[in-house]
Amino acid sequence: MSVQTERADTAAAPGVRESEASPPGPKARTQRRGGAPAPYLLLLPALLATVVLLGWPLIKNGMLSFQNLNPRQLILHLTEWNGFDNYTEVVGSSDFWKVVQRTVVFTAVNVVLIMVLGTLVGLLLARLGKRMRLLLMLGLVLAWAMPVIAATTVYQWLFAQRFGVVNWLLAKAGWESMADYNWFGTQLSTFSVIVLLIVWQSIPFVAINLYAATTTIPKELYEAASIDGAGVWKSFTSVTFPFLKPFLWATTFLEVIWVFKAFPQIFAMNAGGPDRLTETLPIYAFVEGPGNQHYGMGAAISFLTILILLGLTAYYLRTVLKQEEDEL
Amino acid sequence: MKRKLIAAVGVAGMLMSVAACGGDDGDGGGKAGADGFKGQTLTVWAMDGSTPPGWTKDLTKAFEKKTGAKLKFETQKWDGIQQKITTALSESTPPDVIEVGNTQTPAYAATGGLADLSDLKSGIGADWSENLNESAVYEGKQYAAPWYFANRVVIYNKKVWADAGIEAPPKTRDEFFDALETIDKKTDAEPIYLPGQNWYFFDGLTIGQGADLVKKEGDKYVSNLADPKVAAAMEIYKKYQSYSKAPKDKDEATPQQAEVFAKGNVGAFVGMGWEADTAVAANKKIEKDIGYFTIPGETADKPEGVFLGGSNLAVAAGSKKQELAKEFLKMALSDKFEGALAKENGVIPNKESLNTVLAGNAVAEAAAPAAAQGGTTPLIPAWAAVENTPNPIKTYMTAVLKGKSPAEAAKQVEAEINKRLAQSS
Amino acid sequence: MKRPVSSTASRLWPNVTAAVLFVVFAFPVYWMFATSLKPTGDIIADDPVFLPTDITFDHFERAVGADHFWTLVGNSLTVTVLSVVFSLIIALLASFALARMRFKGRRGFILTFMIAQMAPWEVMVIAIYMIVRDADLLNSLVPLTVFYMIMVLPFTILTLRGYVAAVPKELEESAMVDGCTRTQAFVKVIFPLLAPGLMATSLFGFITAWNEFPLVLILNKGIEKQTLPLWLSSFQTTFGDDWGATMAAASLFAVPILVLFVFLQRKAVSGLTSGAVKG
Repeated sequence: MSVQTERADTAAAPGVRESEASPPGPKARTQRRGGAPAPYLLLLPALLATVVLLGWPLIKNGMLSFQNLNPRQLILHLTEWNGFDNYTEVVGSSDFWKVVQRTVVFTAVNVVLIMVLGTLVGLLLARLGKRMRLLLMLGLVLAWAMPVIAATTVYQWLFAQRFGVVNWLLAKAGWESMADYNWFGTQLSTFSVIVLLIVWQSIPFVAINLYAATTTIPKELYEAASIDGAGVWKSFTSVTFPFLKPFLWATTFLEVIWVFKAFPQIFAMNAGGPDRLTETLPIYAFVEGPGNQHYGMGAAISFLTILILLGLTAYYLRTVLKQEEDEL
Repeated sequence: MKRKLIAAVGVAGMLMSVAACGGDDGDGGGKAGADGFKGQTLTVWAMDGSTPPGWTKDLTKAFEKKTGAKLKFETQKWDGIQQKITTALSESTPPDVIEVGNTQTPAYAATGGLADLSDLKSGIGADWSENLNESAVYEGKQYAAPWYFANRVVIYNKKVWADAGIEAPPKTRDEFFDALETIDKKTDAEPIYLPGQNWYFFDGLTIGQGADLVKKEGDKYVSNLADPKVAAAMEIYKKYQSYSKAPKDKDEATPQQAEVFAKGNVGAFVGMGWEADTAVAANKKIEKDIGYFTIPGETADKPEGVFLGGSNLAVAAGSKKQELAKEFLKMALSDKFEGALAKENGVIPNKESLNTVLAGNAVAEAAAPAAAQGGTTPLIPAWAAVENTPNPIKTYMTAVLKGKSPAEAAKQVEAEINKRLAQSS
Repeated sequence: MKRPVSSTASRLWPNVTAAVLFVVFAFPVYWMFATSLKPTGDIIADDPVFLPTDITFDHFERAVGADHFWTLVGNSLTVTVLSVVFSLIIALLASFALARMRFKGRRGFILTFMIAQMAPWEVMVIAIYMIVRDADLLNSLVPLTVFYMIMVLPFTILTLRGYVAAVPKELEESAMVDGCTRTQAFVKVIFPLLAPGLMATSLFGFITAWNEFPLVLILNKGIEKQTLPLWLSSFQTTFGDDWGATMAAASLFAVPILVLFVFLQRKAVSGLTSGAVKG
């Protein structure tokens, strides 16, 4: 059997490989050959880049979060430390916590939809004939390649109250009361449009990668399963799913990060409205920070954002690190 | 070789102008420096659409001839402009002259990023219209020069009005309402297209009512939306809006009101003169039906209050070419070029004596009578923050239009407005 | 037994579903293209114009005729390609170490890169701006390139690491038994098998760098050093948003990504099959 099975785009790959118990021999040799400084040398450029290009701005950002930094201070190059003022103001505001709650729910809804639907589309791709697969792939790639600004604008139009195609269609289909429906009038309907946009944009990544992963599942596994009398569902749960599990985990992790950080889709759609009710954390950070030109405040919120994101993904990070221990 | 020479001259010029700054306060520096400007380049940031090509060409030619320096216009887009200007002012070589929105001028003046132009005002600004110059003054000092202004007019479809049997544009607000009523009854056109968040029209109505959007409480400014005068303005808005099918929670840009108007099935809308061009671009056939009139007020002798949008020209405090920048301002604001700009762009010039250039321009003739009644948003540095997206006043407007009482709606957004006003600079 | 029964119906539904999905995914894109070809009067219409019959290229002319358009195209390509290439090189080295070697601190590295993916770049823009300004590097393509690189580097490392790990160690081992050095084994055996991984990561990197807006907006104020996203947003102006030109610009803007995908797609498929053959 081939190890190449586990081509999936995945950080959590070990799950599969473990079961395939690579022989101890090569492992030992790998160790010996990968002499002490080699891995560090290979990692050096990546590490340097990360420390200089990410670490430095992060530290700078951290320092700004303890400052009162508005246009005046920025223009005159003044440094005005104000201790924890920014943080106490943010944490003390009930708005902030409402936004946090909303962001978590928003992320969860999106990610579940993206993963479930993306997986289904990916499996469908695997089932299709060559021509239909190419067609669907084309559709997916078109959606994926569309610039975010353009996609958001188009969605705004599709759902526009007066000249929107969606309302027009609904009215034509007999649902007259929808002819003048205002999608951006309430929190729920605005979110529906935003979720639709994000899910639409995100499915292609999941589906195409998942499809690529399924192509690497060895046929023998299915044959073995069908010899054991497994039906479609059974062979899915006993072969496909376990095989794809690490991939799904890794993708979920990425989607959590991406959806959580989604910015232009929400901001350009309805600027966080109505009544600031669709602001998620990045929008909130932007409006309170750069938007109002209170950069210190923005920096403080961005730090809290990282902490929350770390909290949300902690479970996954721990699992991965645990697996890493067993690996190699 | 040549390039080096130019660079050297540039450095010399720079030293000279710095020296000039250090020496006296720049009085008469223009003449003394005339030759010293050679080799310098003055960078001017103007907003998209402010500088018509003919005007720009003539001015550049005249400027380069007089000073020997080069003039470079860089057109700026609106997207993210505030952050862009703020960061630019913090750099070691900022743009020398910047077009700043009149309502944003106090905020920038307060940052210390703009140079004091008081001597320019005393030199060439004696006859600048008082209400246009207000925004350029902060704490008694002149931080910018008023450049050009524009205000909203009613743009109407003559054909729709004729179909309804209305012959002359209304002279008072009540006549206007009657006309809308008639159009509603006699035609199947939408009498007026007015979305719920045309906030600058609303600001004009508050100016007409003599209302203030903020008031001073101790040494702080706080929301004054609960004032009955604001409520009265909002009631007028609501009445206008009741004649429109436009969304109550959108502003005039989504969809573009001019493009809706261009369909030919809308009686009128309140907009800037140039929006007529947008309408014509969308539908050529509409051109011959477009007419303009001044937004009518309570009585025939006094038009409705309007928001005077406009721009000032400011000099960056960090610019090393202060004298050259002032030379530019003197020339750009001279009667010749100020008049030419007003004429070419159809905007209100910074002094009334130049209004004559607007003759024959239908839009400007409709706009000019109201300009004298025009005002702005509150001229305090913190105000800019209030208008940031999401603008709480727009929230207020939508709330009232959807049935809340003005008092309730004012209460709903007060905290947000006060928070934004309180954030220190 | 089952096969004959399920024949028509079960062959039909995936195809029907696929066709419906194709419409769902492609329609907004189609709407973008269609809008860019419609005369302005048809863009906002009481009855939507689904098939523009009255086609105009005005919007495209306006989009391409913008100031310095070709300079911006050049800048965008330079910055995007360089940042993707640099990140691929750096990530290949790192991912090889992380996937194949055992050393102290390995988990720390992995954790670092995972957390690095969470960086809130939109809000950190001002911190980066201050750093770049104080280093006197404003109005240059260099900071853009390196920061775009770091934006995609963590993803690239982690993804490639998965792909490297997926290449059978035996292949590498046997190459080394045949006398290859470790480097040679990498270049000759592993690298070709990484095609799908390289595709996924370079596409991701390309899209990210190609679309980036907030950073270039304040770092490079001189138009000669700007990139296409600024051009794309420039049709929303004082004189009203020019939707036709925006959509035309957006259509053009999406083209390089589509081209890249088609190109990579072919490579990736061959990579997949060659991988399968060798495995």
